[in-house]
Amino acid sequence: MTNTLRQTGRYGFLAVAAVLSVFPLYFMAVSATNDSQDVLASQLTPGGKLIENIQNLFAAQDVVGAFWHSTVNAVVTTVLALAVSSIAGYAFEVYHSRAKDRLMWVLLLAIMIPFAATMIPLFQVFAQLGLVNSTIAVVLPVIATPFLVLLFRQTARSFPHEIIEAARMDGVSELGIFFKMFIPTMRSAYVAATVITFLAAWNNFLWPKVILLNNDYQTMPMLISNLLSGYVTDYGALMLAVLITSVPTIILFLALQRSFVAGFTGAVK
Amino acid sequence: MSKVTPGSVIDRALRETASEPERKPKMSAMARRRSLTGWAFIAPAAVLIFAMNFWPMIQAFILSFKTGRGNKLTLAEPLWYNYERLLHDDIFKQTLLTTLLYLIVQVPIMLGLAMVLANMLNSPSLRFRGMWRTAIFLPVATSLVSYAIVFRTMFGTDGFINDLLTKLHIIDDPVNWLGQTNTARGVIVLGLLWRWTGFNMILYLAALQNIAPGTHEAAKLDGAGPIRTFWSVTMPQMRPIILLTVIISTNGTIQLFDESYNLTAGGPAYTSMTMSHYLYEVSFHRNPNFGYGAAMSYVILLLVAIFAAIQVRLGDKRD
Amino acid sequence: MRNFRKGAVLAATAAVTLALAACSDSSSPDPSGGGNGTPEGNTLTVWAWDPAFNIAALNAAADIYKQDHPDFTIDIVETPWDDLQTKLTTIAQSQAYDELPDIFLMQNNAFQKNVINYPDLFSDFSGSDVDYSEFPAGVTGYSTVDGANFGVPFDNGTAIDALRTDILTEAGYTVDDFTDITWNDYMTKAKDVLAKTGQPMLSGQAGSSDMVMMMLQSAGASLFDADGNPTIANNDALTKASEVYTQMVKDGTFLEVNSWDEYIGTLVNGNVAGTINGVWIVGSIQSAEDQSGKWGMTNLPSLDGVSGATNYSANGGSSWAVSSTADVALAQDFLNETFAGSAEFYDTILPSTGALANWMPAGDSEIYSQPQDFWGGDAIFSKVVGFAGQVPANNTGVYYYEARDAVSAALTEIVNGADPATAFQKAQETVEFAMQ
Repeated sequence: MTNTLRQTGRYGFLAVAAVLSVFPLYFMAVSATNDSQDVLASQLTPGGKLIENIQNLFAAQDVVGAFWHSTVNAVVTTVLALAVSSIAGYAFEVYHSRAKDRLMWVLLLAIMIPFAATMIPLFQVFAQLGLVNSTIAVVLPVIATPFLVLLFRQTARSFPHEIIEAARMDGVSELGIFFKMFIPTMRSAYVAATVITFLAAWNNFLWPKVILLNNDYQTMPMLISNLLSGYVTDYGALMLAVLITSVPTIILFLALQRSFVAGFTGAVK
Repeated sequence: MSKVTPGSVIDRALRETASEPERKPKMSAMARRRSLTGWAFIAPAAVLIFAMNFWPMIQAFILSFKTGRGNKLTLAEPLWYNYERLLHDDIFKQTLLTTLLYLIVQVPIMLGLAMVLANMLNSPSLRFRGMWRTAIFLPVATSLVSYAIVFRTMFGTDGFINDLLTKLHIIDDPVNWLGQTNTARGVIVLGLLWRWTGFNMILYLAALQNIAPGTHEAAKLDGAGPIRTFWSVTMPQMRPIILLTVIISTNGTIQLFDESYNLTAGGPAYTSMTMSHYLYEVSFHRNPNFGYGAAMSYVILLLVAIFAAIQVRLGDKRD
Repeated sequence: MRNFRKGAVLAATAAVTLALAACSDSSSPDPSGGGNGTPEGNTLTVWAWDPAFNIAALNAAADIYKQDHPDFTIDIVETPWDDLQTKLTTIAQSQAYDELPDIFLMQNNAFQKNVINYPDLFSDFSGSDVDYSEFPAGVTGYSTVDGANFGVPFDNGTAIDALRTDILTEAGYTVDDFTDITWNDYMTKAKDVLAKTGQPMLSGQAGSSDMVMMMLQSAGASLFDADGNPTIANNDALTKASEVYTQMVKDGTFLEVNSWDEYIGTLVNGNVAGTINGVWIVGSIQSAEDQSGKWGMTNLPSLDGVSGATNYSANGGSSWAVSSTADVALAQDFLNETFAGSAEFYDTILPSTGALANWMPAGDSEIYSQPQDFWGGDAIFSKVVGFAGQVPANNTGVYYYEARDAVSAALTEIVNGADPATAFQKAQETVEFAMQ
């Protein structure tokens, strides 16, 4: 196979993969500029209806509010998740013991059961605590996940113990070592964890819709669900809402993508 | 929150395969105090995981031994009544087979594709690397509800895919994608491929970039072609990460819910429905039978655990 | 530096979180004793979906109620039906009844299941002033359990046959040719229309049993008998209905599409000559403004050879329920004075939302008899109110959704060539299994 042929094959394959990946997003974006009828007719060219769709959408739903709530939920979840899970993962590795290993295994069981089964007992817990309809209720179940704990445990494996020993001899406290040495060194792992956690929290639908019972806390996914549930759906406005919902996660990834790849590299080592 | 983010059991296998240095237990006062500190660091996460996950799981387990509808639940006679009932439930058996089908078809294709793409993106002579990487990862960043709506519209009888295929003269009549069993399942597989290939690709890419270039050089000097190099040199060093992705994808596919619920609504006639979707139906859409749903969830948990254990056993080899 | 910033961010978000948590109000008004007491407050919380329809109606009702109760306020939480059902189930299973709103909207089909399984969610209307004789018995039947009423019917689900008059004309027919006819007659004419204009008469979601269920109900038949036993196998009307459906799909006169969005697409993009559905479909049809003046409306065809067959049926519809922890007196008074008692209210909402009343006195008003341009000058609203009174009742029961799903599955098999008797027998067994 000549080099040119191989090159064409290679770029061709990548181009196809890229186009297939991006096309649905393109369709989403274009549909946001068309009216309902045209979206249903699968029109692929942009129409002039963006302003109209914006007006209809913002009149029908509290987009700003939902966006804000989604942002608050995602940011709070991400920050707390990183804090709680990373220090635990760090400890599983740096203060390693057989007992801790076994505990790690046990904790992993928690991700193996479908959420639909544990949803109601979980709701009951929050109802009894009087915390239904609160940001705490949305955030608490997802900030300590076995996955994140494990990710940070693996990351801690590539954290040189000589640094720890040296710091201890300098009289730095255990907590100090974690904050002043571990976190700065493992920056890329934190970035990777940020992207993943933010993504999951932002798109989270099932639990928030069950635990949030009034207008004060509606999120973007709930807003989209509202748009779909009327007798008449405005598909242009719907696609616009979908686009608005997808933008923050796309921007976050674009901004952090280099660090994201390096983060997993650290864990893989 | 989907606990099954693809990164989720990532490190599970990593943990298995990475070497674990044995630490000599020093029971000095200093070491003991350090150990306590360690437990203190772990405590918040462990307590939360127990309260938010294990406590409900225990409740669900107890529930799986109860029968009745709504909240009028009583202990079943015999206790394992719900589990036995699953054996006779044609719909459950259908969803079990369908879910396993997705597993067998989708995971190998997705991981194979991801591997090929990662290799391409790893080549130093490739230009616009960032652009390809971003484009292929973008689907991961889209929200689930969003892409389901777009896919449903695209695969409708009047939708874009049919238009395109007709224009290209590949088909004569529009294909009823979502209305026939095999094509409906195909759409779900396509959706999963679209959404998660990029994620696995990035993982493989990261692993590839960690492989010592010296090994490739050595193979070249020995006269090995690119394919031979790949199989004999690259793949073995990728084993840990491959095992990872196999475990994550298996976990995610066995617990699959969103695509079945949003893309095809389990249709036609339950033939594209997954187990988790059926569980949700039994609990919330139909006459609520929570004991039965709980039993179903434990069957799912068992399946995931078994697969994970097998995969670790098979794939966890220390060179 | 970095860790300090991180620590600061952590502290800040922790503080914000606690503040947000503290601000959240998760309690609701104390449960009242129910019945004709005095209202405790001035606010009602309502869960409902569809801002263009149900919620618009609620706001209009609130305005009217405020005329006599100036301090009244209403807090509407937009909640899609599926999510509402999930929330109700979750609350009931966790016995967290304090989280309920005062009023919630519920699909008629779901009343039996919810009232029988979770009676503690509801307050019945026995102590209220609502006059149920002003609603069609068939509709109130959905929300009646053991003789007690649990809902005030609102959204009219009466079925209509909407037809593109221009396409009919092209084929040489009028709306009258489709009025008071039988399905055999309809099928013949449909084939003719298809031959002459290339348009199918109907469209619908494949795997949806809506069409067949409407036919079933038009003959006064149900999927369950009065004792709650499934009557899917050996059900004459059901078998006949499935035969009609399958035949039309084969003839090309019923276009099966794959999703709800696509079905709406066929209507607004002019790919069908008509549709049979609940009257609420009017909203979607009218969203295609370029088709104004090209539609007409009449009643449904009746099933041939089935005793009790009529030209009337229903699909969907919902009613207002009052929760167990509501300010019952206020809620029931509000509903009674608006949805169950105000002609002015129904006159207001009809033009703006197209929401048709189930409340029979509303049909007498002038607005209902106004000609509608979109429908060629026909006074469709009074027509539909006339239909509503003739819709046969049917039994839903707690296993209704299981039965519907089973019938959908059977229908899919029948369309793909399976023998109806076998398919329905299998459906019956599926439902009996689910009932164990």
